[in-house]
Amino acid sequence: MKTTKTIFQEGNHKWIAIVRDPNKPGYIIDTNEYLVTHGGRGLLLDPGGAEVFPAVFSALSTEFDPSLLSGIFASHQDPDICSSLALWLEFNPQMRCYVSWLWSSFIPHFGGTAETFVAIPDEGIDISLEGLHLQAVPAHFLHSSGNFHLYDKIAKILFSGDVGAALLPPSEDALFVEDFDKHIRHAEGFHRRWMGSNEAKRRWCERAAKMEIDMLCPQHGAIYRGADVQRFINWFDELQVGIVAA
Amino acid sequence: MTDALMAVNAKTSRAGADLLRIVRINEEIKRVVGVSFKINIMALNAIFLAKRAGTAALGFGVLSNELRVFSQDLRTCMESLTGLIHGCVDEVSIVLKDIRFTRLLRQTDQLTTNGSVVPVLRQREIENDQHERRLSSLRNQLKRALEDAFRMVELGGVLAKSAKIEAAYGQSFAPALAQVSGEFDGIVEEIRDSLESLRRSAFFTGH
Repeated sequence: MKTTKTIFQEGNHKWIAIVRDPNKPGYIIDTNEYLVTHGGRGLLLDPGGAEVFPAVFSALSTEFDPSLLSGIFASHQDPDICSSLALWLEFNPQMRCYVSWLWSSFIPHFGGTAETFVAIPDEGIDISLEGLHLQAVPAHFLHSSGNFHLYDKIAKILFSGDVGAALLPPSEDALFVEDFDKHIRHAEGFHRRWMGSNEAKRRWCERAAKMEIDMLCPQHGAIYRGADVQRFINWFDELQVGIVAA
Repeated sequence: MTDALMAVNAKTSRAGADLLRIVRINEEIKRVVGVSFKINIMALNAIFLAKRAGTAALGFGVLSNELRVFSQDLRTCMESLTGLIHGCVDEVSIVLKDIRFTRLLRQTDQLTTNGSVVPVLRQREIENDQHERRLSSLRNQLKRALEDAFRMVELGGVLAKSAKIEAAYGQSFAPALAQVSGEFDGIVEEIRDSLESLRRSAFFTGH
């Protein structure tokens, strides 16, 4: 089963990371799910694939009543992002799924109805959660053509989907990045191949550098916090991505 | 392995096998449709031949026309079978999805202590039963439609055999008419064999 870690709390406003399942089969990539709660309601970020649903659901339900989830935020269309959608909807069919307009007619192949989806325009939108305004920030072509990150300006957390992701060996499973130089080696190959455009990367780095970010939370690997956030942005800015040597 | 898991595995492999059987049935139906199209063309040629033979092949002409009607009816019948096949594919696919979701929900239930999964799992199982029943009903409809097609082919066989008899009265056209009626008979037998093999499909017999 996965474990939950509260990474931010201020009154009834919380960020919970759902991470690291020791029983996860090795052939499935490890994923981090994040739950933002505010005013008794919750928004689940990149809820994961159908096969990891039991682990994510059970971990989440130790902290939060799943029937109080008001929505799911899908950074992009991949199966490890939201192929569990239909299972979440079994618990609350009223739940909304926020996803780029580009994928809003593709994701229903995982489940849901026309009412389920809220298509995010390219420039992004504000997502309201019981009065809390979360910002869907464009991150197109990193690594999907329609891609969004989610920024919480109160918690100063940027959920960055696959940006910042690292494929960690089993021995290195800390929740936070402890040694940036050591950690980033596990991120390099992933970013070179999965990020499609240097131009898009440049724009994202400029945008992220202007934000106040205490924690950069990727969907795979460890969370960057404090000075490591800017360190990551600088590292990413200099990395050449998107070319395959064939 | 738990009993529930073994039951799920058995259900999955049965549904997977059903899907494969449906695919084979569909392939056989496509073959029958192709052959019935051939009968139509042959019947048209036979009608022209009977006209050339004149009064000596009047009966043969009538039977050729009946065979043409038969081929059209058979195609219509096969179209309805195809519709039922599509329905079966839909339901088997849903059953397969149900099995996967139920497995995941059961795992979730085992990992969750507060019992919040139980009502969802119960609802899911009710829906699974409904899908199973719908599939069973479609299976019966398909079986009945297949029996109807079989009866139709029996009639086609009678027509082809009667055409063979009529061909004998075709005077100078007798050899040509006998050849055509022999081909009719052969093709109807081919369809009968196809339908026989469909009747024996494990999709209907369950083994």
